[in-house]
Amino acid sequence: QNLVKELVDMSTRERIHAIRDLPMSFEEKKSISAVVDTDHIRHQKTLLLESTHGCLCSIRRSQTLRRWGYSVRSARQTLQLWQGTMKEIGGRFGTSVLTYFMFLKWLLVFNVVSFLINFGFITIPLLVHDHTPNLPPNVNFRGLEILTGAGYFNYTVMYYGSYSNETLVGLGEYNLQLAYFFTISLYMVLCGVALIFSMAKSFKENYVLSDPASSSAWQILCSWDFSIVNERAITQRKNNLSVQLKESLSEGAQTEMLTRSEKMKHFGIHLGSWLLSTSLAFGCGSGIYFLCQYEQQVPWTPLQEAETLLVPFVVSLMNLVVPLFYSLFNKFEVYSNQRKQIYVLLVRNVILKISILSILCYYWMQVVAKKFSCWESMVGQALYRLVLFDFLFLMLGSFFGEFLRNLIGRKLLPNLGVPEFDVARNVFELIYAQTLVWIGIYFSPLLPVIQILKCFIFFYVKKVSLAQNCQPPRRTGRAAQMQTILIALLFFPSFVGALSIVAYTAWSLTPSKQCGPFRGLNNTFGAVGIWIDNLQQSSSSYWVIWIYHHVIRSEVFYFFLALIVIIIIYIFWQVTQGRKQLIVQLRQQIVNEGKDKSFLLDKLQKLQKSNQYAQKHPNKVCLE
Amino acid sequence: MGNKQSIFTAQQLDAYQDCTYFTRKEILRLFYRYRDLAPQLVPLDYTRPDVKLPYELIGSMPELKDNPFRQRIAEVFSEDGQGNMTLDDFLDMFSVLSEMAPRDLKAYYAFKIYADFNNDDFICKSDLEKTLNKLTRNELTEDEVRMVCEKVIDEADLDNDGRLSLEDFQHMIVRAPEFLSTFHIRI
Repeated sequence: QNLVKELVDMSTRERIHAIRDLPMSFEEKKSISAVVDTDHIRHQKTLLLESTHGCLCSIRRSQTLRRWGYSVRSARQTLQLWQGTMKEIGGRFGTSVLTYFMFLKWLLVFNVVSFLINFGFITIPLLVHDHTPNLPPNVNFRGLEILTGAGYFNYTVMYYGSYSNETLVGLGEYNLQLAYFFTISLYMVLCGVALIFSMAKSFKENYVLSDPASSSAWQILCSWDFSIVNERAITQRKNNLSVQLKESLSEGAQTEMLTRSEKMKHFGIHLGSWLLSTSLAFGCGSGIYFLCQYEQQVPWTPLQEAETLLVPFVVSLMNLVVPLFYSLFNKFEVYSNQRKQIYVLLVRNVILKISILSILCYYWMQVVAKKFSCWESMVGQALYRLVLFDFLFLMLGSFFGEFLRNLIGRKLLPNLGVPEFDVARNVFELIYAQTLVWIGIYFSPLLPVIQILKCFIFFYVKKVSLAQNCQPPRRTGRAAQMQTILIALLFFPSFVGALSIVAYTAWSLTPSKQCGPFRGLNNTFGAVGIWIDNLQQSSSSYWVIWIYHHVIRSEVFYFFLALIVIIIIYIFWQVTQGRKQLIVQLRQQIVNEGKDKSFLLDKLQKLQKSNQYAQKHPNKVCLE
Repeated sequence: MGNKQSIFTAQQLDAYQDCTYFTRKEILRLFYRYRDLAPQLVPLDYTRPDVKLPYELIGSMPELKDNPFRQRIAEVFSEDGQGNMTLDDFLDMFSVLSEMAPRDLKAYYAFKIYADFNNDDFICKSDLEKTLNKLTRNELTEDEVRMVCEKVIDEADLDNDGRLSLEDFQHMIVRAPEFLSTFHIRI
């Protein structure tokens, strides 16, 4: 058989993958595999003319390798977290809600890795060297520290300020300055790479983003979710499916042409809501700015520690309340399709968050950095408070949004219905939380710990809230998927934003003079400069110095790199365009072939009929 | 866990691992699930497999119990076409429905499960109507069912022969990215 011939020629690994992918039953696969194996052995023997013993050895070696690979895979599975819960959630609510929980799990693992990197390279050497925090007198641990992050925590390894700039001499020389700088940059690079790869992978799987999403009946039919196991959920799914099918049938019939005045009215409403939402966002931003300034001016009292909680409180409150206004505006507006509606809501939320974050960062970079002595620790504390309050408010939001709404929907206003689990909004909030951690990692290396605890607690809280309060989503299919993909795509820009803030801090701002690993330098990057100078003096490892001077510090290198990347992108883009055209042409060819087939069938039938006629009435034909 | 299990021979386990997408642990776990369906029929020592579980037992599994397609799934994956499955068929079924199976393999089996009731490699209108009735269960009227089937065939039929072939189906699946995640049963 041809199949066996093909399989014999492949390497062992490819062969196994190819056999697995065959759409045949298990018995057939086993027999094919056996046949292919014996053929392969014979093939090898004739090729290499080795003794039988040698051949068998190599076969056995590859088999043991394979078995080892399988046991590694098996072992990796034991480390999987929360498998049973995921199955339960998927069984009741379907795959789209499950994506939120899988994202949460991914985020948890991500933060564990970042914690390990930072803790291992920066904190452990310091702790080993000198594990008692040098507290000034009469500073004890009061309970308020957990909320404000200041006070006692200020002098522990939590913040930038307590890292020393010495070279620790223990088992060997460990330059803490360089370690801090390189660990943070390495961590950012790793984050970027991991994000790019996972974005690219999910983009490839869902690459038909550009396809105009008309709700075709076919796709609704094919979107039956096999992982739903709960009986009630299944009946609900069936109802939803029939509703959606009816909608798609009637969509074709709806071609209303709006009158001119109606169009103007719609346009006016859109404009009005856009103006309102942007002004709300900017209003929030300036409010935060003035609040920060006010906080500065109040003289130092013991109460001021509690007052530092005001800013994060207001920020989280805005993040909770203003999107509700946006959804309200959304209800008044009329959109031609649902996708636009989602886009608009998303863009408004993004504008709000960007304006708040940028005002805060501006304040920290411009005002705090110039005024205070140990400003990095202060920024770290502010970020700690933001993260903590974000967590508290998300819990509150979950309580009000889901629990109370469930109560209202069930007892007071049954028409409103039980709430659905809004995957998009929750994923968006997770991305915002992670952005805060990324901004804060330079100022407070142990911030991922808080994020880990947050993710962990959040999983269980959301799971319970989901089980008690929510119903499965009504709109299945493309719209839901599109939302999740869009939100996930936001991850990369938020990372870039956080990275640019950290880069700006490292490049342009002067580190504080009294605390931290970079005290006394003009800017953080100067640490690398000093290291290179030392290397030059000791006249060893020329290549490091050469790379530093000609690659990293020269602008020409980056210019050429950018040029090459742009050219490659252009080439790939052109190839994609060409392939799209090819697809259109091939599709047309299929249609033409179908027409040819029916034409030929017709002709054949006519020919057969005339033959039969001729056979039955030979006389008549002869006469003609 | 080690190599202490005595249910399968090493070659059997190798064959299972080579031909399905499961690891050793999952295969053993699936074997125990299979056995739980009928402990008196399935021996603990499976070195010479010749046991077939009837469809009723398979269809009573919690993962399949309420699925409207369960009978079709069992029929497609069983050797005799009636839904009675050996352990090999059982593993095969869950391997294709797992998350590691590639899109083309899933599309092939989805084609058979969704609509090809008469196993002629084509979906015609009556097949679609049967599927639709399974999925909606008396919610749609006769007219609506007919209209939906016509719409579906219009959209998907590329060569205009009034029926859907496997290639048409695969083409539509490519345009539905969530197919991979919905055609998936966790076990």
